[in-house]
Amino acid sequence: MKELLVLSGKGGTGKTSLTASFVSLADQCIACDYDVDASNLPILLKPDKTQGQEFSAGLVAVLNKDICIECGLCRDLCRFDAISSEYQISELSCEGCAFCAEVCPVEAIEMQDRSSGRWFESNSHVNGKLVPIFYAELRPGEENSGLLVAQVKSAARKKAQQEGYSLLISDGSPGIGCPVISSLVEASLVLIVTEPSVSGFHDLKRVQELLELRGVKSILLINKADLNLPASQAMEKWAQDNGIPVAGRIPYSKELAAVVSGGQVPVSQPELHELILPVWQKIRKELEKVN
Amino acid sequence: MEIAVASGKGGTGKTLIATCLARVLADDNPVLVDADVEEPNAGLLIPHQPIKAWPAFRPVPSIDLNKCTFCGKCAELCRFNALVVLEAEVMVFTELCHSCGLCSYICPENAIDEVKHKIGVIEESDLASGGKLITGRLLVGELQSPALIKEVRESKRLESEIRVVDCPPGTTCPAIESIRDSDYCILVTEASLFGAHDLELSIDATKLLGIRTGIIINRWQGDDGEVGIIAREQGIPILMRIPFSIELAKSYSRGENPLDAMPELHHILQKVIEQVKESVA
Repeated sequence: MKELLVLSGKGGTGKTSLTASFVSLADQCIACDYDVDASNLPILLKPDKTQGQEFSAGLVAVLNKDICIECGLCRDLCRFDAISSEYQISELSCEGCAFCAEVCPVEAIEMQDRSSGRWFESNSHVNGKLVPIFYAELRPGEENSGLLVAQVKSAARKKAQQEGYSLLISDGSPGIGCPVISSLVEASLVLIVTEPSVSGFHDLKRVQELLELRGVKSILLINKADLNLPASQAMEKWAQDNGIPVAGRIPYSKELAAVVSGGQVPVSQPELHELILPVWQKIRKELEKVN
Repeated sequence: MEIAVASGKGGTGKTLIATCLARVLADDNPVLVDADVEEPNAGLLIPHQPIKAWPAFRPVPSIDLNKCTFCGKCAELCRFNALVVLEAEVMVFTELCHSCGLCSYICPENAIDEVKHKIGVIEESDLASGGKLITGRLLVGELQSPALIKEVRESKRLESEIRVVDCPPGTTCPAIESIRDSDYCILVTEASLFGAHDLELSIDATKLLGIRTGIIINRWQGDDGEVGIIAREQGIPILMRIPFSIELAKSYSRGENPLDAMPELHHILQKVIEQVKESVA
């Protein structure tokens, strides 16, 4: 089983629109959305409604005011400023470390499981085929996004193993932090979708640095390439110098933006299909090469 | 006053708005804080002169094996599984450690000290337009970005009357850490399905934090779409609409500040600031 993971560093470069397109073009695959903060792949792939499963990770401190003697020890020791002067515990600030509960002289603090979000297993009907899709929603303000990503990934991989799917196509999060690092586990190839801007280039280099650190191979796609042709060329040169294959360029397209805005997968339109298909063929070739 | 510029979806124009606000506020000696420590881009869009830089650390445990009796209490109590105690060895998984300090406090033998683990760099610059830029840059591979965001946000806090915070995308811990102490949050969005979906999540987050909120629609094409409906239903003002412009996208790609490509933005942003000030007052 292979996994193509789509990353970008900078947000808004077109990860989700392209991921949905590749899911549509692939023969058979499972789709995953690891952007558990703001999951957008289901907007395009329109999975059947499912209940979802509770995701609980970590703990939250709950203080019993009837027992509390207001000695202030917990407040002094909490590194996350989660306990107010009135001994209210802020669920948003609490890291779940249990320092307060362990030191409380009267055992007024109890650690409880916190519900962090939900994850979903469903089916999408894309381009005449059925595609299992896995995604999640972390509740606003929650942490443990990395663990939720791991949960989504492991559920998807299990399904792939059981039902003989050989390809996972996954939409990643922006940035290079916790959820991105978690999504790299067992990824076969990372497609970096960038745009030819100073920010796009800066962020792309940081993603690549992370991939090298983690030993994951990458391939580059320059989206909205004609917005700045010299920058696109500079990016391709940089990729070449660093031994990164280039899947191609996709020009800026008002039509693509409009199609996605209407909730459609870009390759459902013939002109966009023509633009994106060669890129997908190149990525598929590169996928065949990796282990 | 502190204004956070945030969005659920990435690439909607947070950095563009934050850098423009810092320029419009130039006479007030603003501090522009780049809290998107995973991908800090504000400095790419606003001319600045670096002054100094310093490393940022978080504390992690270090075990004195001469004192340790391998009782295992630290590992048992660590909720993040960052410690494993073997027969004659203690393994510390720095990546998993949340720097809470519990292990060092409860060790019966006082065998755990906390040592500094570098998580990134904080850079201070003078903005050419006036005021300062504080940038946090997370070390590539580091997981605990909120610790750095917290430190970046505290830098130069006392020396500034007005601060603009360029936040990371999303609605979970890094975004919350960036927004939480602000007086006002500007949510930058697009009038697309993705934009509207992620905007709703961001509004949930600012409501949870109890922070006054306004919306800027970027790449506006004559229709607020679902964003307009959400704004109405949630009672959140739309502060400004930036019309879609291919010229603006091109100048942005070259790292030019939009105020130079679209000078009329200056006046509109002044009005946005007035609205924000009124709302906070």
